[in-house]
Amino acid sequence: MSEPFEPKIVAFVCTYCTYAGADLAGTSRLKYAPNVRIVRLPCTGRISPMFILKALQKGADGVLVSGCHPGDCHFTHGNYHARRRWTVFRALLEFTGIPLERVKFSWISAAEGGKFADFMNSVTEDIRKLGPFDQYQGLINETEAPATL
Amino acid sequence: MSIQEQYKKRVRELLSSGAVKMVIGYQAGTTADRRRPLFIRTPEEAEKLVLDSACIANLSGYLVTEGLLSDEKSVGIFLRPDGIRSINILAAEAQLNPEQVVILGFDGNDKEVTALQGEKARDFSAIIASIKEHAPEAPRNPQLEQIEKMSPKERFAFWQAEFSRCIKCYACRQACPMCYCRRCIVDSNQPQWVNTSSHTLGNLEWNVVRAFHLSGRCVGCGNCDRACPVNIPLRLINAKMAGEVLGAFDHFAGMSETQEPVLASFKKDDSETFIL
Repeated sequence: MSEPFEPKIVAFVCTYCTYAGADLAGTSRLKYAPNVRIVRLPCTGRISPMFILKALQKGADGVLVSGCHPGDCHFTHGNYHARRRWTVFRALLEFTGIPLERVKFSWISAAEGGKFADFMNSVTEDIRKLGPFDQYQGLINETEAPATL
Repeated sequence: MSIQEQYKKRVRELLSSGAVKMVIGYQAGTTADRRRPLFIRTPEEAEKLVLDSACIANLSGYLVTEGLLSDEKSVGIFLRPDGIRSINILAAEAQLNPEQVVILGFDGNDKEVTALQGEKARDFSAIIASIKEHAPEAPRNPQLEQIEKMSPKERFAFWQAEFSRCIKCYACRQACPMCYCRRCIVDSNQPQWVNTSSHTLGNLEWNVVRAFHLSGRCVGCGNCDRACPVNIPLRLINAKMAGEVLGAFDHFAGMSETQEPVLASFKKDDSETFIL
């Protein structure tokens, strides 16, 4: 009997807002899907598109990127730079046929523990419905470098 | 006097007066329809110069050859408008001093070429501005439209088929005037971002990264596309990304030598419809 599909999701978050939001979700005892692995970074401006590709390369079924709302960045404008980068990167992913439903972006502040928990739940549900990322898995298997996530 | 003779004369003048130490141009190639780069150091060598509609390569990449401009002497170079845009980008990214570049501008179609008036990159700003203005109505590649109409699954399959042929020779990188990094991200192995084997996964990652790094910087000269030994339509990805940055940020690469790179600048009211 095969086990039911549990999506593997990697979330890249900034330490000042979304990570603090995640912390608030925890201290508020909000339950959210355990499928999300959080990677904490200093700022969304630190999140290179390579991180997203790397997560997919290692077998993630979905990737989240989240940081401070515009105007709230600890470094004043890291998230504005990130926003441009994602606009361009998303267009590129779309053009190469990587489904955009698997790569999500959001702004979650340190005060939005509820939004964090809801977002994690809704994305996990969406990706569960989409199923495993077979297209990419096929490519990974071809390389003889098994996914380690 | 034909444009070729005119420019030969000009090259001889530039070199004999000492205004430039070298002129980068074109000479006859291995077949009748091909041209290869020519590096002219003496007035006599100008005889070998060829300038016609087959001169299509963007030569601006040679200017960032290590040490070429470090003696602060000027170099002359034959450029089409896309090459002049490359000079502007390289100047904006602090890779060269535009004062050291003497441009021998030309433009044309597949039949004939005409001279462009000007010497420094800024002298051509009106021409570049008019190219930008006409960019939205310029005829688009029919294959690009076809790919845009596909479903994501079909697009994925289309690009997998294209990328599966990639042999990771990095000729696209070598040919591109914008790929001047001394250490490219694919050469980094700590961490190893991109699979170096030429399996399709690594090929996809390499091509995505290459296109991303050229977004908002590519001028569409087609050097990469022509260099590719397995004919991956790189031009399509580059054209798509250029269209995206023009649409989203009104950014047209290489407008001036002080233009801010699109991914190193921002506006507070940039669109963010996709962010939840």
